[in-house]
Amino acid sequence: MNGQAEVEACCEEMRTDNHRVGETGLSNSATSSQTLPYGIHGISPSPTNFFDHEGSSYFGELEEALMQGVVDRKVFLTTRPPTLEIFPSWPMRFQQTSKNSQSAESTDSGSALNTISQLESDSPVSRKTSPDQSTEQPVPHMMIMSRTGEAENHQPKSQEKRRLISERDGRPLDAKTLRRLAQNREAAKKSRLRKKAYVQQLENSRVKLAQIELDLHRARSQGLFLGGVGASASASATMSSGAAVFDIEYARWLDENLKHMMELRNALQTHLCDNDLRIIVDECLVHYDEFFRLKGIATKADVFHLITGMWVTPAERCFLWLGGFKPSELLKIITSQLDPMTEQQLIGICSLQQSSEQAEEALTQGHDQLQQSLAETVANGCLCETTINNVGNNVYMAHINNQMAIALEKLDNLQSFVLQADNLRQQTLHQMRRILTIRQAGRCLLAIGEYYGRLRALSSLWATRPRENLFTEESACPATTDLQIFHHQVPHFSAF
Amino acid sequence: METIEKLAAENAVVIFSMSSCCMCHAVKRLFAGMGVSPAIHELDEDPRGKDMELALTSLLGPSTASPVPTVFIGGKLIGSMDTVMALHINGSLVPLLMEAGALWL
Repeated sequence: MNGQAEVEACCEEMRTDNHRVGETGLSNSATSSQTLPYGIHGISPSPTNFFDHEGSSYFGELEEALMQGVVDRKVFLTTRPPTLEIFPSWPMRFQQTSKNSQSAESTDSGSALNTISQLESDSPVSRKTSPDQSTEQPVPHMMIMSRTGEAENHQPKSQEKRRLISERDGRPLDAKTLRRLAQNREAAKKSRLRKKAYVQQLENSRVKLAQIELDLHRARSQGLFLGGVGASASASATMSSGAAVFDIEYARWLDENLKHMMELRNALQTHLCDNDLRIIVDECLVHYDEFFRLKGIATKADVFHLITGMWVTPAERCFLWLGGFKPSELLKIITSQLDPMTEQQLIGICSLQQSSEQAEEALTQGHDQLQQSLAETVANGCLCETTINNVGNNVYMAHINNQMAIALEKLDNLQSFVLQADNLRQQTLHQMRRILTIRQAGRCLLAIGEYYGRLRALSSLWATRPRENLFTEESACPATTDLQIFHHQVPHFSAF
Repeated sequence: METIEKLAAENAVVIFSMSSCCMCHAVKRLFAGMGVSPAIHELDEDPRGKDMELALTSLLGPSTASPVPTVFIGGKLIGSMDTVMALHINGSLVPLLMEAGALWL
């Protein structure tokens, strides 16, 4: 009997006067009418503790009637915490009942009114309604009446109360009263709307927060593959902002890529017409272009993040070349997907294979020379130490700084190598698209997507495999773990 | 500028490079791998090097990071490493080289 409890609650609040409010630590308003928060505390044990300034014998009678039935509810009410009750059930019912029971109004004192307005709105909103309090006089009486009307075992009593109210008032309903009632309704409505808006705002923020947490989790999970357990926290803490941004973007890109792959698979399986397939394939390629664009930005922000492979899973990292895949290797993977091929296509693919191998070789050799020269520069610092030490520390430091400056310059060159490697990858993909038919190109892109999906799945299986030497025999059964991982990785496992 | 053009016209494949530049090394290796023997001018070993560097920068445009390496084939400006690689991948580098007489099939 919620209605019953809340009616009592309402009564309790109305009964409590100012110093009572102060005692219980509830908020106090400066206006003549009291301001009571929604939560109920320190309910008066004595039913005779009315507020007196309106001669509220009515309340005494009402209260006695209520108290008869609800003594056991006190415990419940006293234990209600003074929290911000955002989703109270009963104030919503006010809206309906207030419209229903506009017949019998009374002009009795206002503190109860304030209570109602307070009860309807949570504290931030309630502060706004405090100017309205003085006008919101008769509502609680209406409310009480209507609410008791809802409670079944109070039916006879509610009728009694209605009689009491009209009898007690004695004054006819005049224009002023009516205006006051209308204003009261308006104010109540306004505070309800405000509350609704606030709640909506909170809900939106909650959704946004969940989204951000998901993104963060994804970025961290990329970091989690940094070489197993325990590296994640430290790794993500020491990541540069450029690296962190790239990781988040990459995670998003992977999700998009998965969608493209599913679309492509669907298109190939259902034997879509060439024009439609072309659209999908070109979409995929544009998506890859976007990937290289992101990588370009990341290279300039933090080349080490890319070149050390911190952005890919461990299994992918095994095959890393200058911060990404090796085009010739990728071509070897997909050529099996390409049969049958025309003579022209075969020649095209072979020459593409050859030229990418040559380009890779050139870049590798240039990169090797860079590494060697860098090593020499750094080593030079050490060698000179012994010779310069005699001359003095300042000279030594200057020399070291000079060597460091040269070394830094050489590191800059690393960026250009990664950029060139990405350029090579992008060119290879586009050339492949040019040589092949649309169906073959679609099959190739799908094969690439599936291949990397499997590598990533392999990495997560590896990371979560049970290590018998660390765990006791009673702990996680290998089969369960693998199955769990398998289930978790279902989207990536689609081509398994 | 005239020096550049003069030197570029002297050989089928001309590369302007710097001995310390690793990307230049990569370009050299690429042509060597294809069986081409380009004429290489090391700007840091040339007394007119600085001027040539400036001329190359203006030729290549503001977007290029470095004036070297710069490749000329058959006297025509090809560009920097990314252009050369793009041409090689899409299969047009070899015909260019053959046309200039740097490669024989």
